[in-house]
Amino acid sequence: MANALTLLLDFDDQYRRDVDQNHAFLHRRDRRFAQQQQEQRQPLTVPAWLASLHALNGQRQVDSGRDPRLRGWRQARWVFAGLGAVLGVVFMLGLLYYDGGQQINVTLLVALVGLQGLLALFTSVQAWLGWQPWRTLLGRWRGNDDALASLRPVLSARVAHTGGLMFALTGLLTLLLQVAVQDLAFGWSTTLQASAVGYHQWISALALPWQSLWPDAVPSLALVEASQFYRLQQDSGVANPALLGTWWPFVLMLWLVYVLLPRCVLLMLAALQLRWQSHRALRAHPGWQPLHYRFDTPWVDTRGDDEGQAAPAPAHAALSPLPASTTLIHWAGAGLQSASLGAALSVDPAPLQLRAGGNSSLDEDARVLAQAAESGQPVIVVARGWEPPTGELSDFIFDAREQGVTALLALVPLADEGGEALADAGLLAQWQRFVDRQRDSQLLLCAPVAAEKEQQA
Amino acid sequence: MHEPDSPTPAPSVDLPRFAVVGHPNKGKSSVVATIAQNDSIAIAMEPGTTRDSHRYPMKVDEVTLYELIDTPGFQRPRKVLAWLQGHSLSASDRPETVAAFVTQHRDDPRYHDECELLRPIVEGAGIIYVVDGSVPYNREHEAEMNILRWTGRPSLALINQIGPDDHSAAWEAALGQYFQIVRRFDAVRAPFEKHLDLLRSFGQLAPHWREPLDAALEYLQALKFGRDSQALERIADALIDMLGHQETARLSEFEDASPLLPKLQQRWQNWQREREQRLRVAVEDLYQHRRLQRQEEALVTPEGGDLFSERTRQLWGISKTQLAAAGFGAGAVGGAGIDAVALGHSLGAGALIGGLLGAAGSYYYSDKLTKLKFGPLSGGFREAVYGPLRDPQFAYVVLGRALLHWYQVSQRNHAGRDVLVVTGAQDHWLAQMERSHRNGLQKSLQALASRRFDPSKRQRLIEQLELAQQAFAQWQLRPFQESGEAPSD
Repeated sequence: MANALTLLLDFDDQYRRDVDQNHAFLHRRDRRFAQQQQEQRQPLTVPAWLASLHALNGQRQVDSGRDPRLRGWRQARWVFAGLGAVLGVVFMLGLLYYDGGQQINVTLLVALVGLQGLLALFTSVQAWLGWQPWRTLLGRWRGNDDALASLRPVLSARVAHTGGLMFALTGLLTLLLQVAVQDLAFGWSTTLQASAVGYHQWISALALPWQSLWPDAVPSLALVEASQFYRLQQDSGVANPALLGTWWPFVLMLWLVYVLLPRCVLLMLAALQLRWQSHRALRAHPGWQPLHYRFDTPWVDTRGDDEGQAAPAPAHAALSPLPASTTLIHWAGAGLQSASLGAALSVDPAPLQLRAGGNSSLDEDARVLAQAAESGQPVIVVARGWEPPTGELSDFIFDAREQGVTALLALVPLADEGGEALADAGLLAQWQRFVDRQRDSQLLLCAPVAAEKEQQA
Repeated sequence: MHEPDSPTPAPSVDLPRFAVVGHPNKGKSSVVATIAQNDSIAIAMEPGTTRDSHRYPMKVDEVTLYELIDTPGFQRPRKVLAWLQGHSLSASDRPETVAAFVTQHRDDPRYHDECELLRPIVEGAGIIYVVDGSVPYNREHEAEMNILRWTGRPSLALINQIGPDDHSAAWEAALGQYFQIVRRFDAVRAPFEKHLDLLRSFGQLAPHWREPLDAALEYLQALKFGRDSQALERIADALIDMLGHQETARLSEFEDASPLLPKLQQRWQNWQREREQRLRVAVEDLYQHRRLQRQEEALVTPEGGDLFSERTRQLWGISKTQLAAAGFGAGAVGGAGIDAVALGHSLGAGALIGGLLGAAGSYYYSDKLTKLKFGPLSGGFREAVYGPLRDPQFAYVVLGRALLHWYQVSQRNHAGRDVLVVTGAQDHWLAQMERSHRNGLQKSLQALASRRFDPSKRQRLIEQLELAQQAFAQWQLRPFQESGEAPSD
């Protein structure tokens, strides 16, 4: 019983610890455990899983008796047990109160025993139906989101039955004590027109469970006939007073069978129900199915390891005005289709337009550089701004210096093939970083728009 | 990433490995990000900075079924090709010549990127060459294609669509001369089925790669189904939490409760928003979207409890028509009942009355929202309780928002960089659900809102949400079905 409850609470704790973990981690962890169990031919169970996690985390399994969530229930159980014990003594003392005046009425005794039985049955039925009429006593507004929410009826039944059992036990002990230290005279009385024979039949029916075990605890017809009394009757009319005391075995067995035994049985049933409902609550727990999914489903990883890719250093593009140039080099054919680009970038309406990079051969690149060097003027290199600058462009600039292009080199990244100026700050920063990496003071990052503005200024 | 000191394991000969190569900025990383379902990959990196190849193995319980290798782009293809041509005697020695290039230049910083991209190919990886189909074909990249042809490895060209223009046909014709297989693939928008098709194509590159790739496809499909159903479980748990949530405070016997109401209201709303955000993160985590930027209006509950006001409907994105047409809210059961009695002949009337009942229900519940409930006096104190919000509209709002977010996340590729905008629905998806299913869902949601939900019914709720999920997905696809188009390709 405690194990099932501990398991539920333990599982709930682990679920709450895992709730903020990422799914991939949980799946890897639990799948790994499932595979280990399979390899070691160990059963794949939730207790084993919890034990493995506890071992990994250096945690001790918490005994359900110490769980703070059960503290209230444990305390309630002690209080009810204490109350039951005291009430059992008081009840029995009151019931067996005998001042020598009139007999103790067995009929009343039977009725009270019946009432005890009914109360016990009512407690269990409440728990079975999940009805909680006493809920307000526990705090009506207590949250429904804890793991014990669905177990409250049966936990309450267990508390009540514990109290009832203690009541029955101390009642029984008090009865025995009273029998030993006093001479109790039992009798029977009723307002109803009941004959001794009828009463005997009823008593015999009640005594059926122990008839064969303890025949002396079944009152005889003679005893029944002899022990009927009326309150108005001055004289008890009993020839042999010792005879009235012989009811006690019946009273003892009546208490034992109809009060103590049902409480024992119902307490055990409540314990079983608690165990069963704990298992049921565990299976209905929101963490149960996902855990078994993680156990059963292979861990599929497509992500690889997350690479810590450093973002490029921020750079602010410092666009320079276009130098006065009559030579344009279209890198990888950038802007070649634009008829107006040459005139827009160059001081000469018909500048020398050359092509390098891309599909040109390396020899063609070298010839282009030789032509550019001959002019001795600044050279404008037009490139596709949306494509990142490559090592080939870097080599081309290096080769230009090697081949005697000593004048300014103006790098103009375009926004499109039509010759629009690149405006995207991210792309411009990429080109600025490229220019910075070349460590060439004569290499400038330029834009047509900046040049126009300069002219206007 | 390997430990710095640990040796790199020798790649298995039979393991299908694919080096994704191409010119810089043509979407190689986007393709890898989508196929590897890793949204941390496609961060634009620029050439010239140190770049290494990155391996993305597809593992099932630590068994690798295939491996994608994201490589840096070509930097100096013409020089590499010139070197190869200068060191080759005949066509038969070309693969060895490429291997020799890698061996000779492995420590040369100028050819770092080329060595990084060619090494896996020399070691046996297949080639996935990525081009941008949105720019016109030109011969600028022929040197790259020639180098790849020299390796003699199985190759597939992928036409990635980065911009709006489509020049795929011209690319397809040109690439066909260099590569065994040519495929079109939009790394950002291609639906999951297209990812699988692409992987299937990878398997066609070599006969012994087909089997592991087919197995991988099955696992990936199961993974997708598993994620969808787990997302439902998370939505169900969030609904259970949110619909039944109460905020409580203690107050003494003679203390005035009225100042407590706005405080508890605020706490209740904050809690709801925080719980909804936890759901969002959980669903995104499930689909491995870890860098997702999301834009969504906060869950707003009406001020003063007027749940049926115009302002509320605007906040929640619900119209009067939707309420009536879908038999929305509290009236759904009533409306369905009327229709059932009339054997379906009162189709319109039942729904309309359903809507009216919904309005009445809202009116009824709105009164309750503005009130505190009090527990019994105990030790001179009593407990004041705010919530749950019993109006069924709230449940549908939470559910609708959750399904919309789930749908967008589940359909999103990991190469996507745009902000995920979760906007209110213009039409109502509930109308797509069968009435009996809708009624079942309604009952469960009502039980949640009245805190009478039996935890053992969680599975039933998940099944009902699955139907809602299907209805939602169907509703999302409806515009495309009506126009006869695929949602995205």
